[in-house]
Amino acid sequence: MKRIISALLIIVVMTGISWAKVDLVTLPFRDTVQLTIYNSADMTLVRESRALTLKDGENKLQFSWANTLIDPTSLEMLPKANADKIDIADLTYPPRVRNLGLWNIESGVSGKVPVEITYLTSGLSWRAFYMGTLTEDEKTMRLQGHVRVTNNSGEDYENAQTRLIVGKVHILDEIAELARRQYPYGRPGEIVPLAGAPVRGLDRRAKMEVEKLAFSLEEAYMTPKEIRKEGLSEYFLYTIEGTETIPTGWSKRLLSFDVDEVPVVNLYKYEEERYGNLVVRFLSFKNDEKHNLGDTPIPGGMLKVYRTTDNQGHLSYTGQSSFKYIPVDEDVELNLGPVANIVVEPTLMNFETENYRFNHRGNISGWDEISTFKVEVKNTREIPVKVEIQRNFNTQYWELETKQDYEKVDLDTVKFTLNLEPRSKKAFEYVLRTYHGEREEDWTRASR
Amino acid sequence: MNGKRDKILAILLLLMCSALSQARIKLVALPERAATVIRLDNPMATLIEEERVLTLQKGLNKVDFSWKGVSIDSDSIRLRPLDHPGKVTLLSVSYPPGEAALVWDISSDSDYAETVRISYLLSNIDRLITYKAIADKAETYVDLKSFLVLRNFSGEDFDRARVLLDYGEAFEQGIDHEETKRMLFLKADKVPITKVWTFDAARLPWDPEPLENRNVGIPVSYRIVNETASGLGEFALWGGKARLFQDDGHDSTIFLGEDVTALVPVGAKTELYIGDSRDIVVTQRKMTDTQINIRRNNKNKIILYDTDEVITAKIENFKDSPAILTMIQHIPGQWDMEKCNMKYKKKDANTLEFEIELPARMEKGPAVKELKMHYNRRNVRP
Repeated sequence: MKRIISALLIIVVMTGISWAKVDLVTLPFRDTVQLTIYNSADMTLVRESRALTLKDGENKLQFSWANTLIDPTSLEMLPKANADKIDIADLTYPPRVRNLGLWNIESGVSGKVPVEITYLTSGLSWRAFYMGTLTEDEKTMRLQGHVRVTNNSGEDYENAQTRLIVGKVHILDEIAELARRQYPYGRPGEIVPLAGAPVRGLDRRAKMEVEKLAFSLEEAYMTPKEIRKEGLSEYFLYTIEGTETIPTGWSKRLLSFDVDEVPVVNLYKYEEERYGNLVVRFLSFKNDEKHNLGDTPIPGGMLKVYRTTDNQGHLSYTGQSSFKYIPVDEDVELNLGPVANIVVEPTLMNFETENYRFNHRGNISGWDEISTFKVEVKNTREIPVKVEIQRNFNTQYWELETKQDYEKVDLDTVKFTLNLEPRSKKAFEYVLRTYHGEREEDWTRASR
Repeated sequence: MNGKRDKILAILLLLMCSALSQARIKLVALPERAATVIRLDNPMATLIEEERVLTLQKGLNKVDFSWKGVSIDSDSIRLRPLDHPGKVTLLSVSYPPGEAALVWDISSDSDYAETVRISYLLSNIDRLITYKAIADKAETYVDLKSFLVLRNFSGEDFDRARVLLDYGEAFEQGIDHEETKRMLFLKADKVPITKVWTFDAARLPWDPEPLENRNVGIPVSYRIVNETASGLGEFALWGGKARLFQDDGHDSTIFLGEDVTALVPVGAKTELYIGDSRDIVVTQRKMTDTQINIRRNNKNKIILYDTDEVITAKIENFKDSPAILTMIQHIPGQWDMEKCNMKYKKKDANTLEFEIELPARMEKGPAVKELKMHYNRRNVRP
């Protein structure tokens, strides 16, 4: 913050007075600053308000951003009062000077004028991460969402209203790359050159800021801040209560939500094409009211899952899963990795071929294959589980005979779903007939 | 001409008496540049027009025009006498070897202080257009601003020039070498927009389930029409980068995304892609794909067949507002639609476009619609 302020000068040009006689007026501090931080791109929208002292007539305002990661093409200034009397004629990026812009302002008023300056910067980021704590019976989970905001922008933002955007924005240029350009809009007819590595303000004014941060963290710890969530366009806006001070180089973790007793389903999946011969554990729930959630979408992030092992609150670590953005009302399936305590064993019990067709040369031109599979499913756990078994037949010409319910997923895949009581096993059989060669045509005729 | 810089155009008037040798004699140097015009109406090249006064003597005059530190297309240089066009005539142009220069042979019927207009294409000076649009919270309109960015890296300082675009009034502007200037160029409030979600089956994954922890974003665009009803329509909107913001209802804005628009002629529309929606989920699957009407040759080899295909696409809207999804499906080759449960527009021989109205999410869950297409591809050769 100090870097920008010290370089932000107002130059009042009286008509007829040459450049040599311009007055240089240092601006007061920012009155307010608001950060809107994106996580799908390295980008933050900064909005700050300041009170400029303008003279009637032509004014020049110099804004410099050395050692920051500001995108100079995003700079905009708007008067918040007397807008009809103040004309911001142009913004000039003077020759042979880097990181400096000059606003030419035609003012019809004299005195203090509140203005709002907005720009995009890079170097600030946030991410969501989660902690899940399953109850001993694994029927419910306490889900805590956290956000971690990191400031590597080269700029200290003190007492900033901090907002976070959940969503995937489309951007053409990296803000960091725009910030490093020698010329803000590049040169005509050239691929925009980079002007070397950025000089980030990493020289921390350590001691004072450590104290400052420690103090504000302590404050946050004592009274956890609320995060207000609202939908805008395709995005969600999280507004952190009050203001935050995040010096450059520092991160801050805040609690986003804390929901207890989220009912979960212990879902296990078996699909040879995807997971080999292993059963993979999923934790399933829904982002809706029934699950004590559903107020807003849940931003993607890493979830670490623990399980309560006793009434003393001791924990065991179950696994972790990264998950995607979850809209309201969507089912969540978190992949916690392969397990050995649920077993699915498909066994080929019988194999036959029949219905041979022969062409005029006497060669085989069609046949059927009949496979009988027995599938055994064992739940060795002390909790009830749901098991989904997908079988892929590698052909769309098939018939299935079984007493077990199944769902056709697509043209060559079916899914069997079983619910198993604790420490129990189930088995089922299916007979798969696949049609080959000319017999495919018989299958088509019969099915049409 | 700006005398401060050495990268300047030098114009020299050479007088030559017919009896003298062919050596060029530089007698008059550096006439002052008068009215200068920078024409930026062609995005490919910038034309400079400048007026200068030449002191001509009766007979043949040689005028040497040279440049240094700037890039001028020498074939583009033109000279036009303004005061005595019938009496001052350009006879020929010569290019001296190894020099960034040319020599005009000008015939004059008398002694004149003749104003001439010299024009040429100058490299490395151009303009860009950028847009900034702020949508209202309901996303029904945008307040649109367009900025003109002048970039001068030509090697030449222009203290004061008339800048001309392909529309609008000319304006006075000075711009130095290596200087960039951005100025507000167009302001149009409350330009209506249509928000468009597009699922193109050829571009996006069909089944999000196997992707596990990755979302399939449905591209979202704002459609703007350059017409009078939109408060625009006076001239073509130049192509350029557009940054879109949205009013957040708290006296602030959020950044929605950015895109580049191509030139938008009057009456045409542009679609600005702002980002992806993860609240509309499409799960498309092929449920049937079999060969029918098979023809075989003498060797029993299949030589021609039709297909029987069924595609389903489940569309879920998790948003708490309705949306219109544009779904694009592709069927290659010759085909007949057997049955389709939704109306479509045939965009070309192989492209079908569906406009699917999705209600808002309901209490019991997302709004769900399912497209079912049953079609036959005809006369397929293996």
